[in-house]
Amino acid sequence: MNRSRAGRIALEGIRFRLIIVLVMVLIIGALTSENFLTLNMVHSVFDRASILGLLALGLTPVLIAGQIDLSVGSVLSMSGITTIMLQPVIGSVPALVCGLGVGLLIGLINAVLVVVFKINSLVATLGTSLIFASLALLLTKAYPVASQNPIFGLGLTQSIAVVFTPRALIFFVIAILMFIWLHSTPPGRHLYAVGGNVAAASAAGINTNWHLAFVMVLSGLMSGSAGVIQSLSNATGSPVAGSTMLIPAITAVVIGGTPLEGGRGSSLQTVGGVIALGTLTRLLESQGVPSYTQDICSGLLLILLITLDRLAISAERASTSRTHRRERVVSTNPKYSQERETHV
Amino acid sequence: MSDMLMAPQETTASTKEPRYSTPGTWFTRLAVPIALVTIIVIGAIASPKFLTQGNLLNVLNANSTMGLVALGITFVAVSGAMTDLSVPALVALGALISLGLQPTLGPVGAPIAGLAVATVGGSINGLLVGYFRINPIIATLGTGFVLLGVSQIMTGGGILYGQPSSLSNFVGGTMLGIPVFVWMFVVVALILWPLLSRTAYGRWVRATGGNYEAARASGVPVRFVKALSFTLTGFLSGLCGVLIALSNGQARPIVGAGYDFLALTAVVIGGTSLFGGNGSIVRTVGGVLVTALIGNLIILTGLPTQSRNLVTGIIVVAAVAVDAYFRRKATRA
Amino acid sequence: MNAPALKMTGISKEFPGIRALADVDLEVRAGEVHAIVGENGAGKSTLVKILNGVYQPDAGTIEVHGEEVRLTEPTEARRHGIGMVYQELNLVPDLTVAENITLGSMPHSGPFIDRGRIAQSANRVLEMLDTGLDSRARVATLSISEQQLVEIAKVLREDPSILVFDEPTSSLGERETRTLFNVIRRLRERGIAIIYISHRLQEVMEIGDRVTVLRDGRRIETRDISGTTPEQMVRLMVGRELAEMFPKLPLTPGEPVLRVESISATGRFANISLTVREHEIVGLGGLVGSGRTEVARAIFGLDHIDSGRIEVRGTAIGGSGVRRHIRAGIALVPEDRKGEGIIPELSIRENVTLPIITRITNVLIVLLRRERAIAQEIVGRLNVVPPHVERPIGSFSGGNQQKVVLGKWLLAKPQVLVLDEPTRGVDVGAKADIHRIIGEFARDGGAVLMISSELPELLAVCDRIFVLHEGNLAAEIPRTEMDEESVMRAATGQVPK
Repeated sequence: MNRSRAGRIALEGIRFRLIIVLVMVLIIGALTSENFLTLNMVHSVFDRASILGLLALGLTPVLIAGQIDLSVGSVLSMSGITTIMLQPVIGSVPALVCGLGVGLLIGLINAVLVVVFKINSLVATLGTSLIFASLALLLTKAYPVASQNPIFGLGLTQSIAVVFTPRALIFFVIAILMFIWLHSTPPGRHLYAVGGNVAAASAAGINTNWHLAFVMVLSGLMSGSAGVIQSLSNATGSPVAGSTMLIPAITAVVIGGTPLEGGRGSSLQTVGGVIALGTLTRLLESQGVPSYTQDICSGLLLILLITLDRLAISAERASTSRTHRRERVVSTNPKYSQERETHV
Repeated sequence: MSDMLMAPQETTASTKEPRYSTPGTWFTRLAVPIALVTIIVIGAIASPKFLTQGNLLNVLNANSTMGLVALGITFVAVSGAMTDLSVPALVALGALISLGLQPTLGPVGAPIAGLAVATVGGSINGLLVGYFRINPIIATLGTGFVLLGVSQIMTGGGILYGQPSSLSNFVGGTMLGIPVFVWMFVVVALILWPLLSRTAYGRWVRATGGNYEAARASGVPVRFVKALSFTLTGFLSGLCGVLIALSNGQARPIVGAGYDFLALTAVVIGGTSLFGGNGSIVRTVGGVLVTALIGNLIILTGLPTQSRNLVTGIIVVAAVAVDAYFRRKATRA
Repeated sequence: MNAPALKMTGISKEFPGIRALADVDLEVRAGEVHAIVGENGAGKSTLVKILNGVYQPDAGTIEVHGEEVRLTEPTEARRHGIGMVYQELNLVPDLTVAENITLGSMPHSGPFIDRGRIAQSANRVLEMLDTGLDSRARVATLSISEQQLVEIAKVLREDPSILVFDEPTSSLGERETRTLFNVIRRLRERGIAIIYISHRLQEVMEIGDRVTVLRDGRRIETRDISGTTPEQMVRLMVGRELAEMFPKLPLTPGEPVLRVESISATGRFANISLTVREHEIVGLGGLVGSGRTEVARAIFGLDHIDSGRIEVRGTAIGGSGVRRHIRAGIALVPEDRKGEGIIPELSIRENVTLPIITRITNVLIVLLRRERAIAQEIVGRLNVVPPHVERPIGSFSGGNQQKVVLGKWLLAKPQVLVLDEPTRGVDVGAKADIHRIIGEFARDGGAVLMISSELPELLAVCDRIFVLHEGNLAAEIPRTEMDEESVMRAATGQVPK
């Protein structure tokens, strides 16, 4: 009895957690710091959150489809150094394109591993994450690379309309485009089916493999663009730029309310999570909290939210009728296997 | 003991059964010996320094600490919890505490505290994965992140130094010509080997990884089993960190970097499946040797050190792909 | 009328070791509700799977509206206008009703979905069902019966001329069943041929026009509902001579060993009380979905109960948890052998000693020689072939695996042995062995609670039978009154509680 009551509270809390986190952060911020609720702060949050936000946006369709991509940090690093290192060789714009291309390529590799070799996406992207993190270190001999054309990327952080910067705008625009895709196009709606009930999706004639491959490639492209934008903004290609961004990216998506199990989520929710996390980070920064403590906070937040999600799921499972489970054994439904249990 | 089962006539010569194997078992059985032979041959050709006693001892010494972690990861993998990505943070905690608390706890007390804290960290992982049933990769990524941050707070981003002591001299020295590090690895491996393959607990671990629900329905304390494998890994990671810190006399939070993937590689190369059920300490030791020799080869042939991780990553992905292939074949058969 | 909507002639289907269907004819007319009844394993699900293209018949033909068809896969069946509404709902929880209904063929204008047309298309079908459902609602927010209506709507959208309902009311309440029947009547008026599979004979009486009774893979009879009673149906479903599986040892029951008092678990079963005594084999009968497995699992501690008591030899077991129940002396041979019974990669030896492993150790180390001897002894006693205890159990046949699972628990020397479908998927020889072992266990003082969907088996082996119906205890039938009809009657809910 206690188990299910706790679970139900968790369930309710989860639905509103984005708002809860955001409100809490704003309140704490307003109380502890005088210049917290200023337009300047908003500007800074939007700007800084954009890089992480692109990673989180790439992760969102992957999670909706019931998979995960742990390589986002490594892709960011790889794309960043590719862009900077190729700048003097082929020019800034082609280098930018190559950086994006690297993200696309790694996303493609992930897609092949998951769809063709049918390796669990968790394990596959863990592997590629390591491979490309070390490749990045290898290519740069573990040193950050300074850009030969630092002016090229300067524009990315200029102010527009007080609160925005170009890169923040890129983030918001992509978020809106993604929302339209997920919400208003057939492939987008089908993605929810792939993640929510792969058997129903197959039965309806949806090509689930294509969808899975697509979201992996898209995630690579998103992470690639994040890497390109970041390296150009800082005029530096760092081989470890992305290594600490994986957890915050996942945390942002989870705060936004997209569950790790798949079948649900939206890019706007992720934007909310990114902003919430970004605000929290900004708040901690303004209090002089060092970056590793901020890491601790996002890590703890992630663990807390996942644990709550878990409790909510087990509460739900305990209350649904068992007869459904039993009848499944003898029902006349053709069997499709779902290999998602290992993910969550 | 009164509740020990009375066995019927124990025949000293058990009836001989034909050996049973599938292509999959042949692969796992031969992979390590073949790899070892291949590497030794390549190494001997590639560099004259390879097969010298000095070099080989050096290799063992440098990789024994990683080996300790790999032993722990073996339990985690066999119990079906895949791997533990918080290892770098636990190593760091062990290292930093064993030096940082020396002023207050002394040259012996501080390392013990380091071990204790790392073990507690492992137990937190055990709680999250074993009892709350959170996905082990995400859970250990999260705790690793948090604990790494904690270790960075401890040092304020700098380096911690320790005082030399008889303990640190012992740890960094040799016994009978063999480095103490290697002794520690061997001793722990000798303890853990029968633990996994010959004790009731080891049986439980393999049952839990082989089929969680069936193990549970047979009375195996599955949640405890999974949790304990993480506690063990925490302890071994802490030990790894303590040894490194004591022998170097200094430590930074980054000291544990890469240990999770190296250990994972050793376990995977050794033939243990990440999805649980089969695996043994012997296999992991073989995997550690192969991983160590690969790393040594890379250094000796002048390749940059980062390529070790690259090769490691490719091997892990390839090994998992092969394992997944054989598993699918088995279920379809 | 010319050709019937559906005509299946001479359908036979065999699986290794089992003849599922033998020369079955089925004819369904347009605008009729044709019920198919039969006990578990009679062949209903196989017949429907053949109709749906999941299986191909070994012999026989299928004609749809007079035209012979070959249904090689489910999409083929759909193309020919055959629609299936399963028990298990195949909906996507986070999409709306309309999206679920139009999944896979969503109307769109350019790259964007046309919500207007989607709603239109969905509402058209929903109106046919007169449900009042809002097509914009997320499926996850609907009740089970509403979800089922969405499932029906999904199938209707493809404009089937033949519609098959497989146990549609199993999760519906009284009111929702009414709604469903109204829908079915409406569909019948539109000329759709409806096949209605159900265990609930009262419902069959109410909604059906004709009924076909299957038994042991054969069609026994097809009659008009108007001239039939549930009792007649039951008799047709079970009428066969009882063949004794093995001579039943005459044993006098002793003291009560297992006492289950009023256990309940919401959504699974309610107020179940039973007792099993020494030397007794008690059966737990009922239809699929009646809650037998749930009760067995709860008795073993695998699932928790909300209220009630479970006692072994007078001592109540506190709290749930398998280990506690095992220590109290309860053992369960589960229904799902592969999922919960065996650990495939481990050897027979390692599987069979799992519950008692802590008792074969010398301080810490497992005594391998003793363990091997124990394993070999039990394997010999159970007649596992080949008796190689070091082989992974996954490589053995189902019957042998089942024997090992049984042996595993015999080694644990329980007070109570709970068996859930112990001879399902097991060949005849192994079956006899298993029955022999169960009998020996009872003879030696054990108490046995056995679930079986095979009535002859239950009747041959058991001293008493408790029958479950929809999660409640419908009847307790002593051996003197035990026959197939009485069990079936209780199982189909025709016995006043």
